[in-house]
Amino acid sequence: MAKKYGVYICTGCGIGDVLNIDELGGVAEDEGHTVKSHECLCGKAGLELLNADVKDGVNTLAILGCSRRVNYDIFKWDNCLVDRASIREQVVWTMSREKYPAKGPEDDDYFVDNIQLAANDYMRMSLARLDKVELPVPFKLENQSNKILIIGGGITGMSAAIDAAKTGADVTIVEKSAKLGGWAAKMRKQTPQCEPYTDLMDPVANTTIAKLGEFSNISVKTNTVVARIAGQPGDFTVTLKTPGQEIPFDVPFPLTPEMKVDADGNELDAEAQTAKYKEYNVGREDILTLDPEGERFGAVVLAAGWRPAELTAEAYPHLSIGDPDVVTNAQFEEMAAAGKVVRPSDGKEAKNVVFIQSPGAGSDRDFEYAGSVTSLVALKQAKYVREDYEDGKAYIFYQHMRTPGFTEEFYKSMQQDNGIFMTKGDIASVTKDGKGFTVEANGTLLGDNLKVKADLVVLAAGMVPATVDDAVINLAYRQGPGFRDNDIFDGYADSNFICFPYETQRTGIYAAGAVRRSLTMEESIEDATGAALKAIQCLESVNRGVAVHPRSGDMTFPDFFFQRCTQCKRCTEECPFGALDDDEKGTPKLNPTRCRRCGTCMGACPERIIGFADYNVDSVGSQVKSIWVPCEDDYYEPPMRILGLICENDALPALDMAAMKKLGVNAEVRFIPVRCLGSVNVVWIKDALSQGMDGVFLLGCKHGDDYQCHFVKGSELADVRMKKIGDALASLALEEERVAQFEIAIDEADKLPEIVNAFVDQVVALGPNPFKGF
Amino acid sequence: MSDNTLVNPNLEFIDEMVGLGADSLKKCFQCATCSVACPIAPENSPFPRKEMIAASWGLKDRLVSSADIWLCHECGDCSTLCPRGAQPGDVLSAIRSYAITEYAQPKKLAKMVTDKSKLPLLTIVPAVWFALMAIITMQFGGTMEKIFGAVGVHWVHHSDAAIAHARFISTWLVDFTFVPLATAAVVVFFLSLKRMVGDMHENAVAEGKTDKQDLDIKEFLKTIPGVLPKILKHKQFNECGENKARGTAHMMVLYGFVGCFIATAIAGSLLYIGGSAGPYSQINPLKWFGNLGGILIVLGAALMIKDRLSKDKSSAYKDWYLLSLVIGLGATGLLTEMARLAGSTFGTYLIYYIHLIMVFHLIAYLPFSKMAHFVYRIVGMTYAEYANRK
Repeated sequence: MAKKYGVYICTGCGIGDVLNIDELGGVAEDEGHTVKSHECLCGKAGLELLNADVKDGVNTLAILGCSRRVNYDIFKWDNCLVDRASIREQVVWTMSREKYPAKGPEDDDYFVDNIQLAANDYMRMSLARLDKVELPVPFKLENQSNKILIIGGGITGMSAAIDAAKTGADVTIVEKSAKLGGWAAKMRKQTPQCEPYTDLMDPVANTTIAKLGEFSNISVKTNTVVARIAGQPGDFTVTLKTPGQEIPFDVPFPLTPEMKVDADGNELDAEAQTAKYKEYNVGREDILTLDPEGERFGAVVLAAGWRPAELTAEAYPHLSIGDPDVVTNAQFEEMAAAGKVVRPSDGKEAKNVVFIQSPGAGSDRDFEYAGSVTSLVALKQAKYVREDYEDGKAYIFYQHMRTPGFTEEFYKSMQQDNGIFMTKGDIASVTKDGKGFTVEANGTLLGDNLKVKADLVVLAAGMVPATVDDAVINLAYRQGPGFRDNDIFDGYADSNFICFPYETQRTGIYAAGAVRRSLTMEESIEDATGAALKAIQCLESVNRGVAVHPRSGDMTFPDFFFQRCTQCKRCTEECPFGALDDDEKGTPKLNPTRCRRCGTCMGACPERIIGFADYNVDSVGSQVKSIWVPCEDDYYEPPMRILGLICENDALPALDMAAMKKLGVNAEVRFIPVRCLGSVNVVWIKDALSQGMDGVFLLGCKHGDDYQCHFVKGSELADVRMKKIGDALASLALEEERVAQFEIAIDEADKLPEIVNAFVDQVVALGPNPFKGF
Repeated sequence: MSDNTLVNPNLEFIDEMVGLGADSLKKCFQCATCSVACPIAPENSPFPRKEMIAASWGLKDRLVSSADIWLCHECGDCSTLCPRGAQPGDVLSAIRSYAITEYAQPKKLAKMVTDKSKLPLLTIVPAVWFALMAIITMQFGGTMEKIFGAVGVHWVHHSDAAIAHARFISTWLVDFTFVPLATAAVVVFFLSLKRMVGDMHENAVAEGKTDKQDLDIKEFLKTIPGVLPKILKHKQFNECGENKARGTAHMMVLYGFVGCFIATAIAGSLLYIGGSAGPYSQINPLKWFGNLGGILIVLGAALMIKDRLSKDKSSAYKDWYLLSLVIGLGATGLLTEMARLAGSTFGTYLIYYIHLIMVFHLIAYLPFSKMAHFVYRIVGMTYAEYANRK
């Protein structure tokens, strides 16, 4: 595309009052561009001006005005490159004339007008970027499959299948057991899922199973598990098998970190690692080998569900675990579904049943993986005792009784039963007493010490997600078959269930139901709808060659300049989404529809051969280099120049909010938004410092176990890279303190100026960069 | 009590409590708003939170023996503020009622008194009895005169007035009925209270509500005179925010009964010692005293009935039984007098007959009905004072 530039300055929203627009325009005119200004570019007249120019052939527009986070739907033209320099938020609203006065009549040419300098720099940065970016060309699969694979035939999987099938999608359910329905079909009754939320209801699973038959586009495969899922969204090749079978297309496992080193702890070379990998996975085809018999799918809903937690006598020695009359809630349910509640040891009536929700022994904790569902199940099962025996008594000892939302009505209703007795309490012991037990609890609501006699004791085993035991999805990805670092979510298949429900760390795989979070039947059914819609959204995005999430609609994807690839595998290993596989030599192979366009690979690549059409090492590098760094030749007291690389997901909105609140940020800082801190290539920092900038900071999301990074690993990887940069700085004889990384959340706009200004003070204390002026 | 930490919920107890007006007892979720709201709950182990969970767990023994239930004046502050719509005031009232039945002997009679279906039977007994007494008085006056004359006392106990109650049912027969009944009531009370005070102490020790180890009956009895003025002044009733009006109404009824009791006692002394028989003149101060008492009873009871009807509080049979009896006693007493003044012989005797049946209810069933609260409450409050409950 031959670029035809147009530079537009909006003077509205106070911009014209603060800045010298002629001087600002002069910066672009010096580079040979035509500059137009308007008092309201987003208004009717302003847009007419822009549209007329676009019609005349202008296809590369630098628009200086408001933040790109507003009016993005207005300043948009087909087949045009647009750069929005935020001189309203980041200059005029951030820097006040009270603090940075304008040049007065008595000031000489050496007067420093910080605000004008900032605006001039943003003009240069905008033009520099436009020079280096291109229009993206979407990646399209040659032969896309739109079929949806649903793993798990429980209530969630079946509901997701029905919801997807209603939209016309072809759906296949794979269920590892011989029957559909999962736990939902094994119950006597279920907790209520509709108004008035007071009574137990018959399980809905059987109705749902019957409903599946109404859809010709749903096929069901029982006694089936996924051996592997190869390929990428829109083009998955899936090998199915019967459980327990060993086949060549079972998914291979990557080497563990211990396997990658020799006896002395030195890392093995690539060849040795490949040999070891082959030995480790002997009998299994490599991930890049596609199963010719495999079935093709476009997206996957993971609804593999849960199993009851195993409660052991070792972990809870005081609960008489191992006695046949101490059972889990799951065992109790099975018994209740089969008939009357009896004592398993002798088949006698169990009229006094104690439900223990929390193990006690001095602790306030619940059993692992227990939550609101186990609370509701205890209430439900207490009712079974009352249904079976008129003089039955059911006791519930809990540390937490969780009945969120409308389920509170269920709690109230069960509480009304004269034979259900509840108290908070710390279980001290369950001891055999004749044929039954004495359960002793401390700190109860009835007094410190309480004992009750029980015929049967039921423990609230939690719901362990299937992904704790097994990868389940068995992805033929180089990073491994399951979700990485899933232990920080206690094994739940979830990347961030508050911000991005249903999303997992693997694009095209959407988790729903108890595999994602401990959920009731009602919640699981609702969850299934969400995941089904996500699967459809994925297919509809892949189909147009755009990113699904969180950069929905982004048409770019990483481009590799393979001639210079050193096969270091950093991109493959660091990609948070496993989008890259590599071949035997270690050359990365991109799967564009797996990609979320965060640019972590671009940040990782030491050869700087990875980039996007509109965002690459060169484009940002050029922006950095375009910033004018004044030195003592220019001013008696040249201002500092500090670069802020700012994450556009949370930190940039926080910066805009700080601007709206006029909180003020130091005028010597220049911000460049980045897709994610993970995409920050260390070369930008080196560029900035070597051209005389005094400091560089990264501003992004919180990382660690409770990370807020939109791309899971980005800010964490950036942190690792920043720690390593210290050596490089030392070689340049620069202080480590000139580079820093800060965390900020989207709602912490108030903190942002403090963070930035404190860093500026720190750099000022170090003094100017000695490279300045060279 | 053996191991008082071992609990065994009593399902029948819960059912009975529900029948006694505690139908909200299972609604409690133990937030303790009630105990905070209660203006008279002690700071250490305050009621009614613990009573609520003990009730919902059916722990009869813990409840009936607690002196705390007698401290509650059912002002309703707790019930108004309860976020779950439970009515701790009603629950405590039901516990008290249950405790009265529990401690009273014989238990069978106690159960009958709280059972609505037994009301006709309990009423037929005095009705037949007094009909018999009327027949004896009116038909066999001569015979009786002879029998009484043989031991040297007069049978006739009335003045020359044309209409006199004693002409209908002899005062001798009335007193032969009520004096032994009242004595029996006192005996029943004594036996019940002896057991109850013992249990109360055991309960207080177990729950750490007292600083006394052993129960000292002498000390306990010495505490009573200090408590009585508090009760007469309705000191704790008046601390209640929600239900101030009920305090006044209750006071009216209490003083009404006290007035009538004094008037009856003086009249009895005048009759048996001074030999002056009624009806007395309308300007006799004793008459004023009795009439004032009757009016107070009727007015107070009417206020309480109005209060119960206007509130959406649950009222059980026990409540209506007592209120009907109270207002009935006052009303029939006054009406008897009015009928007599109006000169209606039949009216006077008929109403008097009903009045006597009601008095029978009052005295004979006293230790078993809600009315017994006046004795139990004095004991409960005295115990709390004695036990240094704070």
